[in-house]
This record gives sequence, structure tokens and C-alpha cells, in this order.
Amino acid sequence: METEKTGRERKVSEVSRDQRDARKKGDGAAPGDGLTLGMKIQDLSAFYGSFKAVTDVSIDIQANKVTALIGPSGCGKSTFIRCLNRMHEVIPGARAEGHVMLGEQDIYAKTSDPVVIRRRVGMVFQKPNPFSKSIYENVAWGARINGYRGDMDELVERSLKHAALWEEVKDRLKESGHGLSGGQQQRLCIARTLAVEPEVILMDEPASALDPVSTQKIEDTMDQLKQDYTVVIVTHNMQQAARISDYTGFFYIENMGDPGQLWEFDETEKMFSNPERKETEDYVTGRFG
Amino acid sequence: MPRETFQQELDGLVSDVLDFGEEVKDSLENMVRAMEGRDAGAARQELGVDIRYKTWGMDIERECMILQARQAPVARDLRLLYTVQSVTNHLVRSGTLCEHICHAIVDTEGCERDEDLETALVEMARTARNVFNEGLDVFENRDIERARDLQAKDDKVDLLYSESMNLIANPTEGGGGAPEWRMRAALMVHYLERISDHGVDVGGSAVFLVTGQRIEDAMQQYLDRNVDQDAG
Repeated sequence: METEKTGRERKVSEVSRDQRDARKKGDGAAPGDGLTLGMKIQDLSAFYGSFKAVTDVSIDIQANKVTALIGPSGCGKSTFIRCLNRMHEVIPGARAEGHVMLGEQDIYAKTSDPVVIRRRVGMVFQKPNPFSKSIYENVAWGARINGYRGDMDELVERSLKHAALWEEVKDRLKESGHGLSGGQQQRLCIARTLAVEPEVILMDEPASALDPVSTQKIEDTMDQLKQDYTVVIVTHNMQQAARISDYTGFFYIENMGDPGQLWEFDETEKMFSNPERKETEDYVTGRFG
Repeated sequence: MPRETFQQELDGLVSDVLDFGEEVKDSLENMVRAMEGRDAGAARQELGVDIRYKTWGMDIERECMILQARQAPVARDLRLLYTVQSVTNHLVRSGTLCEHICHAIVDTEGCERDEDLETALVEMARTARNVFNEGLDVFENRDIERARDLQAKDDKVDLLYSESMNLIANPTEGGGGAPEWRMRAALMVHYLERISDHGVDVGGSAVFLVTGQRIEDAMQQYLDRNVDQDAG
């Protein structure tokens, strides 16, 4: 009797074909129809004072998938990702317009609390930024101030395991987080983000400051994380986007001084083999940017 | 333009494949001439090309592999490398088949032949050569409209294949030529049919190169669109 194959046992092309079939059934709707929605962004624009940096982005972020955002410098990728947990507005004069649905909640609704939103949508930055505390406290801190009342030891261990760091630090949890290597520090920051149990993890060039081995560990970690979380990553490394993501969005500025816009969004396999738009193809093949 | 060196390497690779194609075309031309004129001398010139073509094919494949390793190509660059490898394989195979046919011509020099079968064989060789040449031209010019027509031209080769096999299986009384020649003719018919198929595939690769679609899928979409228009 033929049994249904799991995702791990199936070829990449089989999985992609199923996703594409699901999309076709949706009569040409956005990528990922038929999958669980992680975030739904509608007509999102971002401003720095009177300058519009990103315009009218509408995109569905699928749950338990990695979505990569690529594009040339200054096209609004990082601005956009910071809008997804209301980090953009902490910059004086910065604001966002539009809708970002996280489940049933519009994170830009007047009733939405930015602090709660940032707990539900965690963020990992380009440069590792551990606290000047022990490894243990780095992970426990966020959960503690959010009122976590469970078994803290268990939470720290679970978070470090999820971030693929536990085996390397389990015997020195009391040592300073600053004593770790750059790659370990970044995974510590991922563990710290996981400890507050977010639904979505945003990563802004998380491996750009790391050596190849550390980068590989972060990429492997992301592959594991998507089983439990929705991941959105900004990266300038197109091969990284091709390796780790399920969906890719290409941001582009049409003319100098214009706001950045989401130029093309599709399954990563399609974006890196046969994108629809010339500008996307020129960018992914390295002809500009 | 960024990646200028990479672009030059890709252009050089395509140029190399086209040079390779020209040599195989010359071999096929020689083969047809040998068949038309029962010219074993012309056929003899092609003996030994197989190893040269295989070496050339391996050189191109090695270049492709190096470019993939060094340049991490994606999108149209990736499609180009894939297509170059595929076309190279078709060229090597066509060259090998051409040498097999020339061997048969040399080995059966002076053998008695069946006139009708020989006429069909020569016609098949000319048509297969034309399909191959056109396939290469379609690839060079990335002319996807003509790629669709190639299949129809290959159908003529398939018809001649059936006609030739029929003549081989059912020789006229007292005819059929020498058994050794008839046996070789059966192999030549098969080789010519394959050369034509390689030509169709070389042309079809232009569709994948330009659109990212397999020619079979592109053809189906084309047919579906016409059916929809007719229905409308």
C-alpha cells in the first residue's frame, strides 16, 4: 500500500509543484493560496517625514515558510520588514500607512499595543547584540519581563536547542554572552527572540557579518525554525535567499528618488529560474545592483 | 555592465557550441554526399570524428561546470548553461551517429543495393540533415516560432523511416540488395531518424532558453489557445 510521503521525503520539485497547483486552483491568486497565512500585508507604505520610502506593498506571508526579501541597497527592504512589527515608527518622524494583519489583528489598528506586537513578531538584527549578561539571562530576560511563569530552565534549554546553540553552551550558561563567537552570539539572539514565543520572526541580514561556517549554521537553524515559526528575512546574499527561502520578494526602485516597491513576488524556485520581470532577472543574475 | 567577465565567458561558451555545431553540420553534409554518390572516400573522411566530438563535448561540459561552481548562475544564465550542456550532448550524439553511418557506407562499398531503398535512404538523409541544420539555426537565433515548426518537418523523416523499414522487411523478388547492405541499411535508417530527433531537440532547447518552458508545454499552451479561439 502506498503511503503519503512526508515533506522531507519528497523531492523539492514535487513540493513546489503541489504549491503551484494549489495556486492555480485559486484562479491566479497570490502565491501560497491553499496554505496557512502568517501575515497579510495590504497597501503598506512607509515614510521618513515627508519622504515616502516604500509604497503600496501588498503581500501574503505564508505561515511556516521562509520568505526572503531581496533588492538593491536603498530599495526599502529593511524599512518594510521593520514595519511588520512596528519597529519603523520608533525612528523620529517615521510612520507607516496601510494594513498588516497578524491573524485577525491589524497591527496598525489604534487598539494594537506595539509592545505586544513586538512580542508576537520578533526581530533579529544584522549585528549580533547580546545583552551584557550571562548566556542564560540573555535568553530568560525577555520571557521574564513578559511575565513568563513556567519552568525558566526548560524554556532556556528549549530556546537554545531551537536556535541550534544548546550543545555548544550547555556547560557554560553562566558565562557572558559576549564571550561567544559572532555566529554563536547571533544564534543566542535568535534564542532570545524565541524565548518570548513569537509567531513570526523577522531577520534583517542576520548572517551578513558572519563567516561562512557561522552563516551555514544560521541557515540550518532557519530551516528548522520554519517548522514552528513563520520567518521573513532580508538578505543581500542572493544565493542565501535561493538556498533557504520558500518565497522571494524583489524590491526595486524604478527611478531615482521614487519609493521602493515590491516588484515581483513568487516561489523562490520560480524567482531564481524564470522570473516574470526583466528587472528581477537582471538583479538575480547580478547584472545590476 | 556588472559581471562583464561572466557575460564574456557565457558568450564564449555559446560561440564554442556553435562552432561545434558547424563541424557536425559539415560531417552530416559529407555523409549525405557519400550516400548520394556511393562515395566511400567521402565517408572515410568522417571516420574518427566521434572521439574528437566526444572530447570537444567534454571540454564544453567542463566549462559549464566551472562556471556553475564559480559564478553561481541563476535564471537566464542558469537556463543558458543547462541548454548549452543539453545541446552539446545532442551534437556529440549526432556526430557519433554520423560516423556510424559513414562506417556502414565504407564497409558496404561495392555491395549490391536496392534502388528503391537507396532512394528512400538518401531522401531521409537529406531531410534529417535539413532538420538538424535548422535546429541549430533556431538555437543560434533563439527563434522560438520556428522551433514549433521543426516537429512537423521531423514527421517527414518518420514517414521515410516507415517506408524504408517496409522495404527492408519486404524486399521485392530478386531485389533487396546484398544482405549485408540491407542489414546496414536498417541501422542507417535508425541512425538518421535519431539525428533528426536530435535536431528537433536542439531547436526545442531555444524555447526553454527564452521562456523557461519545455517545448512540449509551450506547444500544448499554443494548441489550447487556438482551441479556445476557435471555440470563441
